[in-house]
Amino acid sequence: MKIFSKDELKYFDGKEGRPAYVAYKGRVYNVTNSFLWKGGKHMALHVAGCDLTEELKKAPHGDEFIKRFPVVGVLECK
Amino acid sequence: MAKVTREMVERSGVDVDVLLELLIKNAAAELTTYYYYTILRTNLIGLKGEGLKEIAEVARIEDRNHFEALVPRIYELGGKLPDDMKEFHDMSACPPARLPENPTVEEILKVLVEAERCAVREYTQICNMTAGKDHRTYDLALAILNEEIEHESWFSEFLGEGPSGHFMRRGETSPFVSKFLK
Repeated sequence: MKIFSKDELKYFDGKEGRPAYVAYKGRVYNVTNSFLWKGGKHMALHVAGCDLTEELKKAPHGDEFIKRFPVVGVLECK
Repeated sequence: MAKVTREMVERSGVDVDVLLELLIKNAAAELTTYYYYTILRTNLIGLKGEGLKEIAEVARIEDRNHFEALVPRIYELGGKLPDDMKEFHDMSACPPARLPENPTVEEILKVLVEAERCAVREYTQICNMTAGKDHRTYDLALAILNEEIEHESWFSEFLGEGPSGHFMRRGETSPFVSKFLK
């Protein structure tokens, strides 16, 4: 499984045709095909290419939504 | 735009541009839901479906009322609706409530309850953002939230998840939001 550094993850911001990836608890999910992640942005508050572990704690839903997306790698832990 | 209105909200610490984006996305969700619920309601047929048709209709009309109630607040705060209807559809805060491939009553109910649950999450978030800061948006979002919660509980009850705990509407619609429509 591919290991992403935080800098590598930033490339996958969902803009200009790039895929939209987000990290959560060490895993990297591909949200490109989600209706709610069009253009790499979610609900005016969250952007792709980032680790959303902390942000998800404040979201009006649990992690069951993010876990529905395909895992494409893991986030380098350093 | 109501300049002082916006200024007061900004001074309270709310990011008005983010709030506006959320309000516009939720207005899009309400209007598109009104459209998709028209199709869902039409397909609630047969002995089981007929009794649900009127309840889906109430939710459909109330969602349209939510759209109507949101629009003035968007403009008061200096926002606007997109010129392009397709753009508006695609920015919705909730996924399209499309007719399922196998449109049984139960499958349609699942679409209805998921749409309402999305709305409950969204208005909870707007209430959390605006509580004690932007009183008018909070009041509006809370009124809409009250109705979305009731919609969710009705459809949840029909899916066998437990009692809704209250009655269906009796003649009127939008008991919470109607004050914003006058």
